[in-house]
Amino acid sequence: MRSGKALAALTIAGALALSMTGCSNGNSTNGGTTPTDTGGTTPVTLSMSGWSLSTTPEFQTLVDAFKTKEPNVTIQIKEYDPNTYENLLLTDMTAKQAPDIITIKQAKYTYQWATGNQLMDVSDIVSSLPSSVTGAVSYQVNGKSYGVPYRQDSWLLFYNKDLFDKAGVAIPDGKWTWDDYVNTAKELTTNLKAAGSAALGTYEHSWQSTIQGFANAQKGDNTNPSGPYFSGDYSYMLPYYQNVLSLQDSGAQVAYADVTTNKLTYQAQFGKESAAMMLMGSWYIATLVSQQKSGDADQFTWGMAPAPQVDSSTFSTPVTFGDPTGMGINANIDPSKLQAAKDFLAFVASQDAATALAGIGITPSMSSAAVTAAVFAGAGMPTDTLSQTAFQTHKTYPENPSSAITMNISTVLNDAHTAIMSESTDPATALAQAGTKVQNKDW
Amino acid sequence: MSTTASAPRTPRTPRATGASGGRRTSASPGPTRHHNALRRRNTALGWSFIAPNFIGFALITMVPIILLFYMAFTDWNALTTPNWTGLANFERLMRNTTFRAAVAQTFYYAIPHIILTGILALALAILLNQKLKGVAFFRAAAFFPYITSIVAIAIVWNLLFSPTYGPINEILHFFGVANPPKWTVSSTWAMPAIIIVGTWREMGYYMILFLAGLQTIPRELYEAAKVDGANAWQRFVHITVPGLRPTTFFVTVMLAIQSFKVFDLIQVMTDGGPGTSTYVISYFIYQKTLGYYSTGEFGYASAASLVLFFICLTVTVLQFIVNQQADLVKPWWSSLPMIVGLVFFALAVWGFCVGHALIIGWGWYLVLFVLCFVAVGVHTSILRRRQS
Repeated sequence: MRSGKALAALTIAGALALSMTGCSNGNSTNGGTTPTDTGGTTPVTLSMSGWSLSTTPEFQTLVDAFKTKEPNVTIQIKEYDPNTYENLLLTDMTAKQAPDIITIKQAKYTYQWATGNQLMDVSDIVSSLPSSVTGAVSYQVNGKSYGVPYRQDSWLLFYNKDLFDKAGVAIPDGKWTWDDYVNTAKELTTNLKAAGSAALGTYEHSWQSTIQGFANAQKGDNTNPSGPYFSGDYSYMLPYYQNVLSLQDSGAQVAYADVTTNKLTYQAQFGKESAAMMLMGSWYIATLVSQQKSGDADQFTWGMAPAPQVDSSTFSTPVTFGDPTGMGINANIDPSKLQAAKDFLAFVASQDAATALAGIGITPSMSSAAVTAAVFAGAGMPTDTLSQTAFQTHKTYPENPSSAITMNISTVLNDAHTAIMSESTDPATALAQAGTKVQNKDW
Repeated sequence: MSTTASAPRTPRTPRATGASGGRRTSASPGPTRHHNALRRRNTALGWSFIAPNFIGFALITMVPIILLFYMAFTDWNALTTPNWTGLANFERLMRNTTFRAAVAQTFYYAIPHIILTGILALALAILLNQKLKGVAFFRAAAFFPYITSIVAIAIVWNLLFSPTYGPINEILHFFGVANPPKWTVSSTWAMPAIIIVGTWREMGYYMILFLAGLQTIPRELYEAAKVDGANAWQRFVHITVPGLRPTTFFVTVMLAIQSFKVFDLIQVMTDGGPGTSTYVISYFIYQKTLGYYSTGEFGYASAASLVLFFICLTVTVLQFIVNQQADLVKPWWSSLPMIVGLVFFALAVWGFCVGHALIIGWGWYLVLFVLCFVAVGVHTSILRRRQS
C-alpha cells in the first residue's frame, strides 16, 4: 500500500515536471518574442502560409531575401494543400490558428476574409508602394487595402515559331486584333495539315477566364461598380464566344468537349507542339522553360506576343487581364510581431524582392526594365524584342475585382461558359440568362 | 456510518422490496445484492463497449447535425458571429432558380437510379445465386466498381464518353447512329450519363445484399413449387419476391437515401455542368461553402441541407408506411389516399421546381400530401391494432 502511494506520488510529480517542461519549451519556441519589437534587434518569428513548397520556390526566395535585410526576423512557412488551400485556411482562421502572414492565392477571397475580420488594413503600406507595382487594386475592399501583391501575372499570346515557319505563316507582330488571331489560327491549321503536321492553329483551355477574362478586361470595365460586369449586361462577351466557337467548329482548336472529357493539359498541348499558339498567363513562362530543360516539353523556338486587341487603339499599351498573388497580415496577429510583418509586406513589393523573384522566372508585381532583363537573362528564354515588350508593356485588369458579389457573378458566368462552350446553349441566350440572374441577384 | 453501510444489505424501501420480491421467491438479501452488482457490472461493461462509438458519433455527427438546425436560421459565414435571420435563408432558397433546378435534378437522378440499380442488382443477385462455374469470380467482379476510387471511375468513364474519341460513340457510329450524344458535355445527356455510371458503380453493393437475402429463402419452397408445376416466373413472383421483402425494404431505403444525397460522382464527372444541368442539392451546398467560387455562406447552405434532410426523411417515412401496409389485409380503397398523396407530392415537387403554380401553389400541394399521409398513417395504425 505504501509503495503504491509512493508510485502515485512519483507519477504525479513526473507528470507535473513534464507539463512544466512542456510549458517552458512552448514559451521558448513562441518566444523569442518579447512584446516590444518594432523591427529592431529583438528576434521575431513570423509564420506564413504557402503551398507546394517543393515546386513553388517563390515563398522561400522571398523569405531568404528578406532574411538578408532583416536577420532578426525568422519566417516559418506553413505548407497547405494547394487544391484546398482556401478551405484549409478558412478552418485555421475559424480556429484562430491562421499564420501571421496570409498569402492570398486568389484575390477573389479578399472580400470574404477582410469583411470576416481576418485581414488587417494595410493601406499605409500600399499607399507608399512605388507606382510601378501593379495589382494592389485587387485587394481593396470599401476603399481600404488588405493585401500587398508580390507577383502579377498577365495573359499573353505564346506562339511556336517553328510551327509558324512550317506553315509559312508570318509570326505575330504585336498588332493583332481578334479577327487577325482567328484568321491566323485557321490558316495555320490548314497549312500545317498540308505540310503533314497534326498540330492545330491554337489551343484554348477550358477555363472561363480564357474568354471572359479578356472580354471583362477589354470591354467589361469590371473595376467599375456600375459597369456592365456588375450590371449584368454581358452582350459584350458575345463576339469573344463567337470567335472561339468559330475556331472550335472549324477544327482550328480542340473542342471544349474533348478538352474536358480527355482532361487535356495546356502544358502538354503547347509543350508537345499540338498547337501553334496559346493564350496563357505569364506563369507559363517558367513552366515552359523548365519543361524544355527537363524534356517534358519538346525543343522548339517560341515567343510571346501581346494578347489580341479589340481594335488598333490599344496596340501601344495592350489591354489584358490577370490576378496578382499577394500577402496580407492576420488581423489577430500578436502586436509584438506586427511591425516585422509590415516590414515583410513592404519588402515583397520592393525592387529587391522583384529581382529575386525574376531570377527564378516569376513575374513580380513591380514592373521595370531591370525586372524584364532579369527574367529574360535566364537560359531557354526567347531573345526577340517583341517577347520582351509583350512581357513588360500592357495594362492588366483584374479578373476578379474585390466585391461582395464577385464570387456569385463568377459562378453564374462559369455556368454560362460551360453551357456555351459545350454548345448546349447558344451564346446570346446563355449570356442573357446569366445577365438576368445577376440583375435579380438570383443566387 | 454503520447505517449507511447496512442500508443496501437489507432493502427496506417499498420499491426495493417489491422489485426484489417480485423477481425472486426467496428474497434473501445476499443473492439480491449480488444480482444487482452483477447487473451494474454488466451494464457498465456494455456501456464501455458502445461508449467509444457512441461518443464519437455524438461529437462528430450529432453535434454538427443539431448545430445545422440552428445555423440554417442564421447568416453564419464561418468567420463572424452568426446573426439570427429567421426564415430569410429559406425564402432566398425558394426564389433561387439554380436551387430549384438542383431539386428537380436531384429527383431526376434519384428516381431512375433507384429503379435501375434495384432491378439490376436483383437480376445480378439471382443470376449469381445459381450454381455456375466461376461464380465467386463474377460476384467479386460485380462488387469491384463499388470499391474502386471514384476519381478513377470518373476519369475512365469520361474517356469512354468522350464525344469525338470515346469508344462508346465509336460503337454507336458503327451501328449507324449519325449524331451520337455528347454525353457529359451535353446538358441533355449529362445526367443520363451520370445515372449510368452511378448504377454501374453501386449495383454490385446492393447485389451482395440481395444475395444475402436469397440465401435465407428455403430451397424446399422452390422444389415444392417445381413439383407443383410452377414455371420460373411464377417461382420468382410467388417465392423470391415475398421472401426478399425485408431485404428489398432495406435496399430501397438505403438506395433512396444514397441517391438523394449524390455528390461525389457529379463533382468529379461534370462539376455541375454543362450550365447547371447536373446541379443537385448536395452540389449546390458544396458550391456555397467549399467550392471554387464559394461564398462561405454556411448559414444559407445549412438551410439547403435541411431541405435535403427533409426530402430524405419524407421518402424514408413513405417507404416505412408502404412497407407496413403490405403486411395488412385491407380493403381495395385504402390504397387510394396513398396514391393521391403521392400525386400531391409529385405536384408539390414539380410546382417548386418549375417555379409557378399548377392551379394551386406547390406549398398547398405539400399540405395536401401531408394530410393524405397522416390519413394513411392513422388508417394503417387502426388496421394494425384490429388485425393484431
